[in-house]
Amino acid sequence: MESTTQHWRYDDHIPSEPDCCATIVGMVLEQLEKNGWGNKDTFGIHMAMEEAVMNAIDHGNNRSPDKTVHLVIEICGDRFYSKITDQGDGFDPSKVPDPTDEENLEKDCGRGVMLIRNFVDVVLYNDKGNSLELTKKNSEANA
Amino acid sequence: MSEFECIATEILEKATIVKFVDQRITDPARIESLGRELLSLLDATSETGIVLNFDGVSFFSSAAINKLIKLESESKKNGLQLRLSNLRPEVRDLFSYTNLDSLFQIKDDQIDAIESL
Repeated sequence: MESTTQHWRYDDHIPSEPDCCATIVGMVLEQLEKNGWGNKDTFGIHMAMEEAVMNAIDHGNNRSPDKTVHLVIEICGDRFYSKITDQGDGFDPSKVPDPTDEENLEKDCGRGVMLIRNFVDVVLYNDKGNSLELTKKNSEANA
Repeated sequence: MSEFECIATEILEKATIVKFVDQRITDPARIESLGRELLSLLDATSETGIVLNFDGVSFFSSAAINKLIKLESESKKNGLQLRLSNLRPEVRDLFSYTNLDSLFQIKDDQIDAIESL
């Protein structure tokens, strides 16, 4: 791991434990603050990372102690990037029910996936559906 | 009302006011406890409704939202009204992005929430 106020990169495998998600998210929030990101963007990245990493731990790896989540995170000036890869079977994000449909409002599934899409600029899944990349620009940069 | 770990409650006029202990509601174990504590209010509440006051809450995950959805559903079955108030703009956005502002009645502040019961 290397860390400066201009360019921070994290590349490691974490155990499939919720506490590890909290630690990583805490590190990201700290770096965003150091780089001058505003509350709104920081909240969005927090939301996307929390949901994506917890999905990987819970739904991807089923919290298996034998499986890890590979995380790559970069904060480079006004650009945030993360790639989150679990060791599960993957899923087809296009088949996740739309949680905003009236009939799905009270169901539990799909809300996290939808929130990820809403809070970052770009979300890309691989073909298998066990890896996603998130990108967000600092909306307050050069404002 | 009994002791809680994740919420603090008080009775005000015709409402049970609920505040959250945690600023960031993300930990899965705490969310499970939160869900249980919220549902336990249904039996303990003799007031008209429950107001969830989000003052101080800076983050709320989708897993935590699921607990509120359960509370909303069970409140209706028990003839209780549920209101949400004092949400930060970012947290409020969660409810609009997910269309949950059509399920929940969200008020700007606690006074509005109590008056709407």
